[in-house]
Amino acid sequence: MGKIKPLAAAALIALLAGCGDQRVLESLAFVNATSYDLVQDKEDGAKENLLICIDVPKSDPEGKMKREVLSTVARSKKDAHLQLAKQTELMLVSGQLRSSLFGLSIARSGIWNYVRALVRDPSISQNVKVAVVNGNAGELLAKRYPEHPMTGQYIDRLLEKEADKMSVPRVTVYDFTRDFYDDGIDAVAPILKQGKKNIEVNGIALFDQDRYITRIEPDQMPIFALLRQNVKNGELSIDIKKSGEEAEQIMINSIVSRRKVKVRRGENGNFIVNIHFRVMGTLREYLGDLDMSDDRHRRELEKRVTASLLKDADAMVAMLRKHNVDSLGIGKRVRNSMSYKEWSKTDWNAVYPKLDIKVTGEMIIKDFGKVY
Amino acid sequence: MNIFRRMNRAGNKKPEPEMRPAAPEEQDVKPELSHTLNEFKDCADLVHQSLPDKGVHFIFIGHLIGLEAFAREITVPFENASPDDIAQVLGRSQYREIGDSKTLIKDILDGSVAIFHDGRAYAINLCKPETRSIQQSETEAVINGPHDSFNESAITNLSLIRRRVKSAQLKIARLEVGEVTKTEVYVLYIVGIANMEYVNEMSRRIQNIEVDAVHDGNMLVQIIDDQPNSVFPLFPTTERVDSAVSRLTAGRILVVMDGSPSVISAPASFFEFFSSPDDYYQRWMLGTGLRILRFAALIVTITFTALYVAVTTFHYEMIPEDLLLTLTESRSKVPFPPIYEALLMELTIELLREAGARLPTKIGQTIGIVGGIVIGQAAVQAGLTSNILIIAVASSAIASFVIPSYVMSASIRLIRFGLIIMSGMLGVLGLMMSLALIIIHLSGLTSLKSSYLTPVAPNKLSDWKDIFVRAPFWMLRTRPTQSKSPNKVKNKMRE
Repeated sequence: MGKIKPLAAAALIALLAGCGDQRVLESLAFVNATSYDLVQDKEDGAKENLLICIDVPKSDPEGKMKREVLSTVARSKKDAHLQLAKQTELMLVSGQLRSSLFGLSIARSGIWNYVRALVRDPSISQNVKVAVVNGNAGELLAKRYPEHPMTGQYIDRLLEKEADKMSVPRVTVYDFTRDFYDDGIDAVAPILKQGKKNIEVNGIALFDQDRYITRIEPDQMPIFALLRQNVKNGELSIDIKKSGEEAEQIMINSIVSRRKVKVRRGENGNFIVNIHFRVMGTLREYLGDLDMSDDRHRRELEKRVTASLLKDADAMVAMLRKHNVDSLGIGKRVRNSMSYKEWSKTDWNAVYPKLDIKVTGEMIIKDFGKVY
Repeated sequence: MNIFRRMNRAGNKKPEPEMRPAAPEEQDVKPELSHTLNEFKDCADLVHQSLPDKGVHFIFIGHLIGLEAFAREITVPFENASPDDIAQVLGRSQYREIGDSKTLIKDILDGSVAIFHDGRAYAINLCKPETRSIQQSETEAVINGPHDSFNESAITNLSLIRRRVKSAQLKIARLEVGEVTKTEVYVLYIVGIANMEYVNEMSRRIQNIEVDAVHDGNMLVQIIDDQPNSVFPLFPTTERVDSAVSRLTAGRILVVMDGSPSVISAPASFFEFFSSPDDYYQRWMLGTGLRILRFAALIVTITFTALYVAVTTFHYEMIPEDLLLTLTESRSKVPFPPIYEALLMELTIELLREAGARLPTKIGQTIGIVGGIVIGQAAVQAGLTSNILIIAVASSAIASFVIPSYVMSASIRLIRFGLIIMSGMLGVLGLMMSLALIIIHLSGLTSLKSSYLTPVAPNKLSDWKDIFVRAPFWMLRTRPTQSKSPNKVKNKMRE
């Protein structure tokens, strides 16, 4: 008996592990990107079906095709998965999923069901990127971009790079889920648009819960970044127009900015929110009359840039409040300034549009190059 | 005399009387010329010389005797002496009078010249057999530091050690091993530094050995170690004098065996097998770097191939995107599952290594080239293995040779196969399970009744600076705790 016990224990460990599900590399089809769209049912126009496309990179050394796109129309995601699996000789696995794209049609009606499915699957990383496609996501994914043979990787890297530059927020399944459940902030996602030969980032989608409401235009994306988070390495391009004068074009990069949100109570108990950003950056391009080596001139330019930024920021905050989406997470700060009891009594959606929000900021040019 | 009974049982049915060792009643027999000659009957290498006019007989084994010493101690005094003076000559202290026949025979076998005169027997040890000269160690070469190493003569080896430890505290106990071969085994320790419990335990174990012959230090190690069924060597053996002496001064004990260049040191810990004298002859930062490199090599050699198998069989999620396609591409042509692919390549590497180890250098090179081309290129082009597996197998093979102790490196190469098989069956879970089993096994091992995993378990942080890193000498102030030295401080220098 003395010898049987440890052997039995070892056998139990080995057998109970249940590792019969071998996934040998070459027999797998790795789904790299998935797209979701709603399409109208052909027979019943009122009913909407799900169009799912998946992008599967191919590793066939002889084959010219670097990837395979499978698509199907189905009632549900599960149904779609079964349909897709029938179309390939390999085993479809989603453990290498990098990005999931949602067409505008589906984004408008809510994407939480699909994001939740991604969260549930333990083989799918929490770092899978979520993006909204301006148009049909399936078409964007299925199209062949001659200069970018592997579309899934292309999309992933594009989003990654843009997020590094801080022009769009980095939105992963984790971020989306967190913001979805948090009642003090509304989720956002980058918007992609299909171009002729490429894909471009086309703004930021603003959600209320999981429904797409409105968007930030591409030229406003840096302002949104300054208001929403601390920026480590951003870029700004600003046109300052003064009445009667030529426009001054300013390009600032290596931007480091800090955002501070302060919440205090007014006299009658209402909230006064102050969003303050402090931007430091390197002046890269400047087409104007001011002489940068002169301190007074530089201060003047800083002031103009600040004024321009604040004007845009005010407009943006107003727009957000108009659509009643709290994408900047002001609710979180307000919540933190009161007790939970009080917060749960507050109807944030009603309070938010009436809030007293003030945006202040400053811009510092810390470097302007060697040539004056 | 167990062993002889067994030999007889296994061999001829009727035991030959000549095979029997000296019977107990012969012990008291006074040494006589005729009796001695009879004992050495049929020994062609026995030399019997006599000076009939002086009534002196010399008996010795020719090739054990140094010619110069023979001329000085035998030829000159006895030729020049008149028959009456012989007794006076034999009165000199170097000629020992031997009382019984058995001792005399043993002395002759040890290289003494037996002198018979007037019914009495004397012996003088003139042993100077031919030995290999002191050469550089091929298995434990270093770049800096002393290059002399032990050879097969215990006398030379003892002299090499004694020359480096000029202290009367260095004690040498002489024991014998092998019922037939009577091989000399010396236990060396420094009184006041070594713990006598270890010395007694080691002497006890050596005295308890009852086999007909022990041929090498590495063989002796396996007979005296704590767990003969473990894969891991429990006592390191070294051919390097400096490394042996450093262990002696660390409070460990040495076992020098005649006929073997491998000197055993004990007690030892697992981590000791990963240090090399080179670490101490270079600046401490370099030494530290090398130590870390070796432990990294240990991890690489144990886990690399196994990880490849686990990942390609079960855990495609773990592979970075950029690597995934190359990996799939190189795997796509391979007809076997990853585990067979990996075992095939590991086996081929082991074949190559074994073939190369036995062959002379010139042919060994050919083997290397053939193996390099066959494995490196042809196997991939033929679609038998994937490129990345080749890299994994090759790097783990190279990493295994980074481990300075050959015995330890061979043990680790062996357990790797177990890990590969477990990974093929259970993936990373199997890999982790086998690693856990190895660690459990290691923690159960003892070396001369002290923990094999010192200084990790039991945890002795003060020892870590001479195990995982090589701290500067001013920090190395105490002897390792494992040697349980009564004299703990080894470095009292102030700045």
